[in-house]
Amino acid sequence: MTIPSQGSLEAQDIEVATTALQSQPDNKTRRYDRQLRLWAATGQSALESSRVLVISGSATSTSILKNLVLPGIGHFTILDHESVSPADAGNNFFLEGLRSIGKPRADEAVRLLSELNDGVEGKADKRTLESILESEPEWLTSFTLVIAHNIHPLLLGKLSSLLWNDSTYPPLMVVRSAGFLAEFFIQFHEHTIIESHSETAPSLRIDKPFPALREHALSLDFATMDPTEHGHIPYVVILVRVLEDWKKAHDGNPPKTYDEKKEFKKGILALKLKPDEENFDEAEAQAYRCFTETKVPSEISALFEDPVISPESLSQNPSPFFHLLSALKEFTIQSESHTLPLTSTLPDMKSDTKSYIHLQRLYKLRAEEEKQAFKSYVRAPVDDALVDSFVKNAHALQVLRGEQWGAFDADKKALGSPIEVSFGTATALLVTPKGLLIHLSLSALSSLNTREPGVLLTVEALRAEVQAIIGEGVVLPDELEEVIGELVRAPTAELPNTAAFLGGMVAQEAIKMITKQYIPVKGYCVVDLIETWTGVVNA
Amino acid sequence: MTDTSVHTNGNATSSDWIDRFYHVDQILDRPGPRTDPSFLAGDEVKDFLRNKCKILVIGAGGLGCEILANLALTGFKDIHVIDMDTIDISNLNRQFLFRPADVGKPKAIVASEFIMNRVAGVKVTPYYGRIQDKDDDYYMQFNLVICGLDSVEARRWINATLVNLVDPENPESLKPLIDGGTEGFKGQARVILPTVSSCYECSLDMLNKPTAFPICTIANTPRLPEHCIEWASVLEWPRVHGDKKLDTDDPEHIGWLYTIAAARAKEFKIEGVTWSLTQGVVKNVIPAIASTNAIVAASCCNEAFKIATSSAAYLNNYFMLIGTEGVYSYTFEHEKREHCPVCGGESLEISVNREWTVERLIEMLTETQNIQIKKPSLSTPAKPIYFQSPPQLEEATRPNLEKKVSELVPDGGEVTVTASTLPFSLSLLITYT
Ligand SMILES: [Zn+2]
Repeated sequence: MTIPSQGSLEAQDIEVATTALQSQPDNKTRRYDRQLRLWAATGQSALESSRVLVISGSATSTSILKNLVLPGIGHFTILDHESVSPADAGNNFFLEGLRSIGKPRADEAVRLLSELNDGVEGKADKRTLESILESEPEWLTSFTLVIAHNIHPLLLGKLSSLLWNDSTYPPLMVVRSAGFLAEFFIQFHEHTIIESHSETAPSLRIDKPFPALREHALSLDFATMDPTEHGHIPYVVILVRVLEDWKKAHDGNPPKTYDEKKEFKKGILALKLKPDEENFDEAEAQAYRCFTETKVPSEISALFEDPVISPESLSQNPSPFFHLLSALKEFTIQSESHTLPLTSTLPDMKSDTKSYIHLQRLYKLRAEEEKQAFKSYVRAPVDDALVDSFVKNAHALQVLRGEQWGAFDADKKALGSPIEVSFGTATALLVTPKGLLIHLSLSALSSLNTREPGVLLTVEALRAEVQAIIGEGVVLPDELEEVIGELVRAPTAELPNTAAFLGGMVAQEAIKMITKQYIPVKGYCVVDLIETWTGVVNA
Repeated sequence: MTDTSVHTNGNATSSDWIDRFYHVDQILDRPGPRTDPSFLAGDEVKDFLRNKCKILVIGAGGLGCEILANLALTGFKDIHVIDMDTIDISNLNRQFLFRPADVGKPKAIVASEFIMNRVAGVKVTPYYGRIQDKDDDYYMQFNLVICGLDSVEARRWINATLVNLVDPENPESLKPLIDGGTEGFKGQARVILPTVSSCYECSLDMLNKPTAFPICTIANTPRLPEHCIEWASVLEWPRVHGDKKLDTDDPEHIGWLYTIAAARAKEFKIEGVTWSLTQGVVKNVIPAIASTNAIVAASCCNEAFKIATSSAAYLNNYFMLIGTEGVYSYTFEHEKREHCPVCGGESLEISVNREWTVERLIEMLTETQNIQIKKPSLSTPAKPIYFQSPPQLEEATRPNLEKKVSELVPDGGEVTVTASTLPFSLSLLITYT
């Protein structure tokens, strides 16, 4: 193999080439490098402008905060009126053992958490949640996100109702744990995601080639072209061409039956001039792209039916997401191919530089044209960068709608039903029995502990409480004994490993909520650290 | 004000205070419904955990920092840690025992000191160096090993070492290995009982194949910014700098590669070469965040705690987590691989083309997903086929590279494959097609 000599650069060329280059990134970029590769500058700036309230300075709470302070949220407040107990000093890494005992837990935790990142502002608030709910509830709604760990069910009820009152109020993350068992839940009205980081790639629209692509594919004379060039035709071009030829011979239809598809693939390989032309092998492997029509993905067309994008509703909705969604719907109706706007991201393929870059350019130009067409349907002022991102991710947009904390427990039909009527209904007891038992047992533990403080917890009492929540007459599986037995064993234990595990889980979901990137969990995420599994109930 | 006077009894050391282990003791004082009957609730198990158990942590990075903190809080008091790296500024977004002033210092040492300052009565013994520096006697002293590494090679080494350590006559020689790994929002934790359950080598085929760019693409038909960066690092660096080694941690070196790659990209009209991408490609940077590390490390430490105390059943044997779309996890039993070169004991049968040269066979061994041996040396029971080192032997066996395997090994013959990086040999039974 020879390396083309014109590729090597001599000193003066390098100088010319570098005039417009960036130098080494600054310290902040270097510090955050490993996470910027996941959520980029947009995600980072969302984190940096966020303000997170965490209620209680428990080991779980500080573990969650550690994983939010490190990546650089803007501000956090710990709301906690307790002093550090000897038990706290033994299980919380953000307290200093004996030295912290007796001091305000919020102060100690904020001090030690703040050491993790100079760029984050931390504040200790030593009032009680009760007093704030009473006197200054609007303070609670001033945060980006509120997280509450193992708080009194009555206060939790008040807090969740308050934050549910208005759809612009912050989401609430409720976290409960005892021993090896735990769960968390995110209360939110609506969560829209543009950058979902889907692993599904947008369509290359080989079956509906845009004019310039079609012309390019038809202009090539496969039979007479230079053999080296022939071995480097990108598979996209090969497929567009072969499909066009096929359609001409088949009344404008693509291959449909199994035999036709087989014949189609054979036809691709028959075009090879030499057996080692890998681009044609690649085209054969990608031939499936010709077999199904490129349409608006069903998940996205489902979003088009959302009442929020009706004209009346849109005129009241300030969210740019829905204005863009409405424009997208309009685009797919008006565009000739009835597809989403083309994206310019082309995967790598067997080809030479010239052919590949040429193809990439065709895609870029067309994508730009379609983006302009899309923009003409946008009827509200929207930032250009947001439009770019929206178009690029149009195939994987997400709209999540959540529910209020506790609504599930109050909905007996959703929980479970007596065996005789269960046929045909997908209750949580049928769909996720093990997960539901953990959720119900934690609910039962929480209400028993507070209804009868100081009274020794028994298996019988927990069982009766679980039965009361799910409803009399519902037969509970035997596995319930394993769950409540474990809770009776360690009803108030906040194990360091469970706290750390939850710290990671909850922070991860908090980051997804704040950055509006990736897809957060919906429903109750339950954790069993005995058999080591997680599950989602009422998704 | 709470009573903080020091409480002493058979189990407590002077650094323990009343209620220090209020939380953990709820688990250790009584069994749960799923606890094995062999669990010795109360003083005995606490004494073992806090005074006798010796645990080794391999890696003091993203997972290691978390692991050390969790172990210390759960009551392990004799912890050893090995790490050969020094602290880089890009570690600070997750490796929470390090501060900007620590950049450049050895991770194992800084992490140990931090833990001992923060958690009273815990002894953390650091070793700043390679795991390969230590011998069997060293590894024999531990009850458990937890591994938080980002290197496949190092994991294969410790896995094979712990499997080799097992002496059926001596139950103490079986050291449970708990292994964790993360990449972005994804991670896994697993429990390996050497020789008993599936080992790290058994699951090699689960690894993602690293992206490799063919050299002719890099040299002749670049299409992606990555191709330009590879050109700069693989071809231009050695051409211009000769024997000078590329240091991917040196910003000047990365800067040079970036400049060269950007110029090549410009020449070919390829867009997208950036400093960050250059660094990502040449260092094979894997995205890493605090939260995923916390989850996986907690899971590893939780298994260590359950194994050390028998207070609850432990993971059997693989926990996989994907956090990109909601929370998806999968817990399953990974099966032992029948012909695992480390724990399987039997030869691996492979059939090769009669026309294949030794060189082609070596290429196959390097690429095959469940073998992946870089720079293998090959021999038959009678004579060497090809040795990578020492130089004299390499030179003497080099002519064999171009010979056909079938000229050197009979049909059904055995070939032993070794590599300096791996403490085991792979035995192949060759048949011809
Ligand atoms: Zn094995």
